[in-house]
Amino acid sequence: MAQPFVKKDDDRDDEAEYSPFIGIEKGAVLQEARVFHDPQLDPRRCSQVITKLLYLLNQGETFTKVEATEVFFAVTKLFQSRDIGLRRMVYLMIKELSPSADEVIIVTSSLMKDMNSKTDMYRANAIRVLCRITDGTLLTQIERYLKQAIVDKNPVVASAALVSGIHLLQTNPEIVKRWSNEVQEAVQSRAALVQFHALALLHQIRQNDRLAVSKLVTSLTRGSVRSPLAQCLLIRYTSQVIRESGLNTQTGDRPFYDYLEGCLRHKAEMVIFEAARAITELSGVTSRELTPAITVLQLFLSSSKPVLRFAAIRTLNKVAMTHPMAVTNCNIDMESLISDQNRSIATLAITTLLKTGNESSVDRLMKQITNFMSDIADEFKIVVVEAIRSLCLKFPLKYRTLINFLSNILREEGGFEYKKAIVDSIVILIRDIPDAKESGLFHLCEFIEDCEFTYLSTQILHFLGNEGPKTSDPSKYIRYIYNRVILENATVRASAVSTLAKFGAMVDSLKPRIFVLLRRCLFDSDDEVRDRATLYLNTLGGGDGSINGNKEVKDFLFGSLDVPLVNLEMSLKNYEPSEEPFDIDSVPREVKSQPLAEKKAPGKKPTGLGAPPSGPTSTIDAYEKMLSSIPEFSSFGKLFKSSAPVELTEAETEYAVNVVKHIYDGHVVFQYNCTNTIPEQLLENVTVIVDASEAEEFSEVTSKPLRSLPYDSPGQTFVAFEKPVGVPAIGKFSNMLKFIVKEVDPSTGEAEEDGVEDEYQLEDLDVVAADYMLKVGVSNFRNTWESMGPDCERVDEYGLGVRESLAEAVGAVIDILGMQPCEGTEVVPSNSRSHTCLLSGVFIGNVKVLVRLSFGIDGPKQVAMKLAVRSEDQTVSDAIHEIIASG
Amino acid sequence: MLLAVLFFNLEGNILVERFHGVPAEERLHWRTFLVKLGSDNLKGAKNEELFVASHKSVYIVYSVLGDVCIYVVGKDEYDELALAEVIFVITSCVKDVCGKPPTERLFLDKYGKICLCLDEIVWKGILENTDKDRIRRLIRLKPPADI
Repeated sequence: MAQPFVKKDDDRDDEAEYSPFIGIEKGAVLQEARVFHDPQLDPRRCSQVITKLLYLLNQGETFTKVEATEVFFAVTKLFQSRDIGLRRMVYLMIKELSPSADEVIIVTSSLMKDMNSKTDMYRANAIRVLCRITDGTLLTQIERYLKQAIVDKNPVVASAALVSGIHLLQTNPEIVKRWSNEVQEAVQSRAALVQFHALALLHQIRQNDRLAVSKLVTSLTRGSVRSPLAQCLLIRYTSQVIRESGLNTQTGDRPFYDYLEGCLRHKAEMVIFEAARAITELSGVTSRELTPAITVLQLFLSSSKPVLRFAAIRTLNKVAMTHPMAVTNCNIDMESLISDQNRSIATLAITTLLKTGNESSVDRLMKQITNFMSDIADEFKIVVVEAIRSLCLKFPLKYRTLINFLSNILREEGGFEYKKAIVDSIVILIRDIPDAKESGLFHLCEFIEDCEFTYLSTQILHFLGNEGPKTSDPSKYIRYIYNRVILENATVRASAVSTLAKFGAMVDSLKPRIFVLLRRCLFDSDDEVRDRATLYLNTLGGGDGSINGNKEVKDFLFGSLDVPLVNLEMSLKNYEPSEEPFDIDSVPREVKSQPLAEKKAPGKKPTGLGAPPSGPTSTIDAYEKMLSSIPEFSSFGKLFKSSAPVELTEAETEYAVNVVKHIYDGHVVFQYNCTNTIPEQLLENVTVIVDASEAEEFSEVTSKPLRSLPYDSPGQTFVAFEKPVGVPAIGKFSNMLKFIVKEVDPSTGEAEEDGVEDEYQLEDLDVVAADYMLKVGVSNFRNTWESMGPDCERVDEYGLGVRESLAEAVGAVIDILGMQPCEGTEVVPSNSRSHTCLLSGVFIGNVKVLVRLSFGIDGPKQVAMKLAVRSEDQTVSDAIHEIIASG
Repeated sequence: MLLAVLFFNLEGNILVERFHGVPAEERLHWRTFLVKLGSDNLKGAKNEELFVASHKSVYIVYSVLGDVCIYVVGKDEYDELALAEVIFVITSCVKDVCGKPPTERLFLDKYGKICLCLDEIVWKGILENTDKDRIRRLIRLKPPADI
């Protein structure tokens, strides 16, 4: 019996599985596209074929050049049809195909016709398509129409032209900049979206003109901005103006703050949130300014919309980094978010609480986190681990709870990145909190007993070799290390052999027993393990070979390679096996690219979580290695401190330069990291001419130019100064970048032979007292203070004058001294009238310094400070007072 | 910048993907990442319930509508709140075109119209239209009703 005809019904479940695109195949669809050439066009059929083409493109399918050209030519035929639906599809299809410059010409006249059509919608779409496929020459031809379109009364046409302008600004800025007047007019439009697009474009046109942006903001903040989206943009631009203008010196008020605060009462959540975030990000924001913003964010925390909860907690998380006390009011709301369904929100809540909590709440929090950890993904766990590490450094007395927590989660299931984050954290805590060393090492030993990651086992063995011998009972670690020799793979075994050797070298009482163990390794199945055992037995004097000097042995075991690893790898790859042995002295020591500056990678894929940050000491190690490889600086002795990079140019200038100050006992080296951002230029013989006339105690000794600085490949030039030994000399240096510039042909990448000498003014650089201080924390300030004793103590009182707040005064003094705040005392509770801050550090000459600051503030905001300094050297205690007295 | 708008079916197969300013070699990572994000979180989710995540400076807002999962990814000015606005427009338009939260079949039946809607909503990474009624007219080349 024939089946009754079933009417096609989209809702029928039994049909749901049949996709209209089932079995779709590119070749077949391209064949179908021939219908576009039919003299009698069937609009419905053509639309269906275009849909299929779109489906293919949206699935990530690509067309070859020939295929794309063929389809493009066919599609242009469809302009003959008067069917409106089909025309709309044609516009979209042309944009998707993005034809090449030589093909565009086919369609230009049709589009130009549509652009002048009486039908508004033809105009809007033709503008969008033309601007997508156009080049500079065509743009000048249609510029007149675009300018008209910007002020068109139809908002769709105006928006089309404005959004086109935003895109074209990237490729043809000089043309788009000529549309300023029209765009300015569009900003006043009554249509909300037109205003939004116009504001975005106008700001982009004027972004390098501070005065113009400031004027724009001033006028718009007074007037009425209709769309919430435009209001958000305005808030962003306002914060930019605030950042660049600073406080009003007469009244102490911040310009535009009232506007931002007013936006907190806007009806759109988006605007409220944007304003709250802008306020929290103001530089040097006071608690009075913060309070209203925190209040609205707190309300968002209990919103039913996850996006609002997320936005609020994310912002509070940032605020907690700088103003933990301001966020404490939200603690209860945040605690309830720990059980939020959305794990991103829960993780942010936890990490914020870890920052805002005080010492007494640590234990309770850790209990809550333990339950939470089992049901979140590794990437969130890593964030929590990092927060716990910071918490532990802030409250060193709580190390027992926190290290125990870390070791517990280390034993649970988890991937490599997560485990690595935990191991790295324990290593950092051991380095920074001496009391945590023994228990930390013990936990790491337990971990390697059952560790599936070779990389982590070898990392821990290496660390154990350096730290283990210095503990009270080194022998207890030997069992764990030797177990590795018995149980693990060759890489780990080899590593364990090296660690055993380090114990042998450092602990004389263990030496004979270590020899016994190393001799057993001589029968290992792996070459590397046997070779290492033989080598170490001979170096340590356990074999039949000669006994080397003790210092030499330690240098060999603990010293660094002295050559950059990249260069070593390169040389080894280039080494042809021959009679002649590889000579490590042949490895170049010069660092080619800039290894220390992090390259920015915007829009990177979100999956790769990247390597967790390495320990804080690694940067200085890398600097030291690099500097010692430069012969001119090798005689300067041991590097005391390297500063964080200081920017000497503004963002987005032709040449980006920052400088790192390297402090030695009797010298200072400025490392200028330069980047050339102009593709058409090659810079050669790059130096920085430093004028030290305002730095009397410094005299320039040498300068190391950079031979060549190609586009987007950072390089370094150095200038070294001599200064009185051990003296914290300060001064101001003005800098001028000098170079020979050569034009580069962008098509071939080749530079011209002749260059022109040129200069580029950089910002001034200060060497300040804080540069001579290393931030080194102590685990128990009181004990260290008592044990240091009052022999070299000096106490004095100072008036700091009228200050904005107590917190601001405390922050300023910490910055001047450049010391490490201890036990969270850098945080001043709001409304308190007095505060004690504890600081520790190591002053140049490797002298330990402890500082106890007591502050008091009175009604008219006069701040007084008592400064008590203890150190191992009276002159250093005096020097600290001298820094405060002159600062 | 609105970096991407993607539609997947419930099995994690792509229905629509539109990237803006994301290099071709990074797109596969995005697909995999978003599918995983969805499979971890979207089970049992209610229609149009919003989910949010961030990674470094990139934000992701995603949701389920019928048998279709929708993801929008943005950075800079397109933060989680702006993206919530974008996904709201997208879901309203899809519902409008399909007449209800779509099955996969219904979504594919209306594929052409949905592509046109997306073209009106996002243009090369910038939000262009936010009103579903206006968009419904624009995809038929009709001027907005309010002028």
